[in-house]
Amino acid sequence: MRDIVSAARLEKNIESKTSSLFVSAMSIKKATLMDNGVQNGTSRNMLERCASVNEYFDVAFKVMLLGDSAVGKTCVLVRFKDGAFLGGNFIATVGIDFRNKVVTVDNMKVKLQIWDTAGQERFRSVTHAYYRDAQALLLLYDITRKASFDNIRAWLTEIYEYAQKDVVIMLLGNKSDMAAERVITHEEGEKLAKQYGVPFMETSAKTGVNVELAFQAIARELKHRNLQQPHEPKFKIHDYIDSQKQKSSCCRV
Amino acid sequence: MPDARMAADVHNKGVFWEVKNGNLAPSDRLRQDRSDSPTPGLVEGTEPGAGQEGAMFVHAQSFEDLTAVSESNTDDNSAEVGDSNLESAQEAALEGGEEESLEAEQEEVGKEEVQSRKKAKEEDVTSETWRSHRKHVFVLSEAGKPIYTRYGTEEALSSIMGVMMLLMSIVEDKKNIIRSIHADGYRVVFLRKSPLILVGVFQTNCSDRELTRELQYIYYQIVSLLTLTQLNHVFQHRQSYDLRRLLAGSEHLTDNLLRLLDRDPGLLLSAVMCLPLASSARDMVSSSLQAAKAKNLVFSILLAGNRLVTLVRKKDQFLHHMDLHLLFNLVGSSSSFRAGEGWTPICLPKFNPAGFFHAHISYLEPASDLCLILVSTDREDFFNLSDCKKRFLERLRRRNAYQSLQEALNMPSYPVSQVGIPELRHFVYKSKSSGLYTSPDLPAPYQGEEELERLMGLYQQLHSCLHNPTRLLRYIYRCADTENLYALVTSGFELYLCFSPLGTKSLAVSAVNKLLKWIRKEEDRLFILSPLTY
Repeated sequence: MRDIVSAARLEKNIESKTSSLFVSAMSIKKATLMDNGVQNGTSRNMLERCASVNEYFDVAFKVMLLGDSAVGKTCVLVRFKDGAFLGGNFIATVGIDFRNKVVTVDNMKVKLQIWDTAGQERFRSVTHAYYRDAQALLLLYDITRKASFDNIRAWLTEIYEYAQKDVVIMLLGNKSDMAAERVITHEEGEKLAKQYGVPFMETSAKTGVNVELAFQAIARELKHRNLQQPHEPKFKIHDYIDSQKQKSSCCRV
Repeated sequence: MPDARMAADVHNKGVFWEVKNGNLAPSDRLRQDRSDSPTPGLVEGTEPGAGQEGAMFVHAQSFEDLTAVSESNTDDNSAEVGDSNLESAQEAALEGGEEESLEAEQEEVGKEEVQSRKKAKEEDVTSETWRSHRKHVFVLSEAGKPIYTRYGTEEALSSIMGVMMLLMSIVEDKKNIIRSIHADGYRVVFLRKSPLILVGVFQTNCSDRELTRELQYIYYQIVSLLTLTQLNHVFQHRQSYDLRRLLAGSEHLTDNLLRLLDRDPGLLLSAVMCLPLASSARDMVSSSLQAAKAKNLVFSILLAGNRLVTLVRKKDQFLHHMDLHLLFNLVGSSSSFRAGEGWTPICLPKFNPAGFFHAHISYLEPASDLCLILVSTDREDFFNLSDCKKRFLERLRRRNAYQSLQEALNMPSYPVSQVGIPELRHFVYKSKSSGLYTSPDLPAPYQGEEELERLMGLYQQLHSCLHNPTRLLRYIYRCADTENLYALVTSGFELYLCFSPLGTKSLAVSAVNKLLKWIRKEEDRLFILSPLTY
């Protein structure tokens, strides 16, 4: 049941054989890197036991969570990964935190390797170093804190500087459960997202609204990009989100 | 070691700094400190717990920082380590055209981060409760700007910090140094570590040296987050800079370190405690870790809570206890490493205050207490180290060592009754040459937080008596209301014993030999006798 992979960015893998475990943009195919695959398999079993998250997967992508400190990046991730909410005291992420989660998209197992980053300024240089590996970026702000929203432009500037050109970006306004403290309207968020041509939604790590959807949409988009069948229509992430979001918002109201 | 370099990641563009002497550490220090030792008898290198093949730590002395304090205080440049490498690193940092980017980011990121900090420690600074805290610590910049307070908010304390600054500068104006003020049961201790000023207000009868040592720890904690290079750079660039922006989210590290200083004898003794483990099991773990090496890996450290399981290091590179304690503190005060794999820059200030290492930090299992720290010089090394961890785990499981590790973890350390000395309640034994200490489980009377801190306070007083620079003691016996204490120091070890009030001095003296014999018998379980290198 070994997944057979060949890296789109082959040179990279060969150059760093030791890091064979991490295969960036992958597409299903035969094993051109046989030994690579073997190593991958054994190490993966290892991980399975110690992290209990790693099931079999067909394809893997790297996703990065970005945004100011205390906008809820870790909470969104934990909600998505474990279905729980980290209440209580705010504990700042140190540096970068790396976790995996496998999601299913059209009967295909997509493994998301998720980088949760610290929002603090002093960690900027570390996060920069890993931007270019990411295929998707979830950019978060806190709807109850204007500065975190105002900084989104600065974040996008950084993203354009450091990330891959074709990186999938999604803007998330988090803490949508805190209606009373809201200072950024849904429209403002939407407007900004439109300006930059990125999909947008409001999420709540506390209630779970749209969290799953955000990651699902990313996974779908990435999967379709990489494994596009000729007869398949192009996946439209905006439409997908709109259709799904509709559902959740009518449940909510 | 052609690739032994450290990234002095000063802000954005990552300034790389090639170390001139091809060594990771600042030149002149390590070797000399470790050199001369034995004369016959129970001396350094032959005491129970001494490593067989040399130590894995830099040989640290009590108050070693403080012996240099007077010079660095009068010295305006006050470069922490008077070392040309450091200076060149600073220059390198300044050269890059990064001033603008720093400026730009300042505007963008705004002050919101500071404000958003969880005000859990919000407390009315005019209230009686605020005043009654036993140990206050304040950090401010040389411009008098608040950087950290243990209780209350910095904003509320800016005038007090202004007064502290004023006190310091008035005295310094007369070419003098203010070290401490004693009044009404309080000690106010000042420590200037340019560009920072640390002030402690303590309700205690500990010596100034002990208190200054604690402030030193706080200083190094801050350096470990930013590097001294960046710290200097930031304040050279703008004297009135609000450092809390760069330190945002790290307050709990400093809070936790202050708690450790009250409770962990390791910080007092400049030593580290090992997890008691059969030597065969430890060797297996160590060699597995040794085998899982990578090019830029410098230290592999396996922790169990606040105890060391094993440490494997690059040949010729030694870790300092203080740096290890800072790593312990980082791991102990962050929950985020439990679920995933952490990757963070960290400066080990005693090793080299000018550059960042990069640490891969992860628990072996989410529910386990075993935490692996892999320290590399390369900031792009995450996946290499992640792979090292996997190889280590694999090897561990193949040899079934994981099981015995888990079992050792689940057992309490050891009760003092194992030693078989009546009236002995607790002890702390440090082997000087290995830099490791051992101590039994806390007995019932000291299990509460308050009681533990009281016991540690007693040890601390003994420690400062033994190491008083004007009157060095070899041993001290003290009768208190609720316990009798005996402490002694030789060139090979330091020992602190706590007896019930029924104990006598002659009993205490005779206990030492018995205890040393017992430790000798158990030493391969209690200590790491054969540290490994890659």
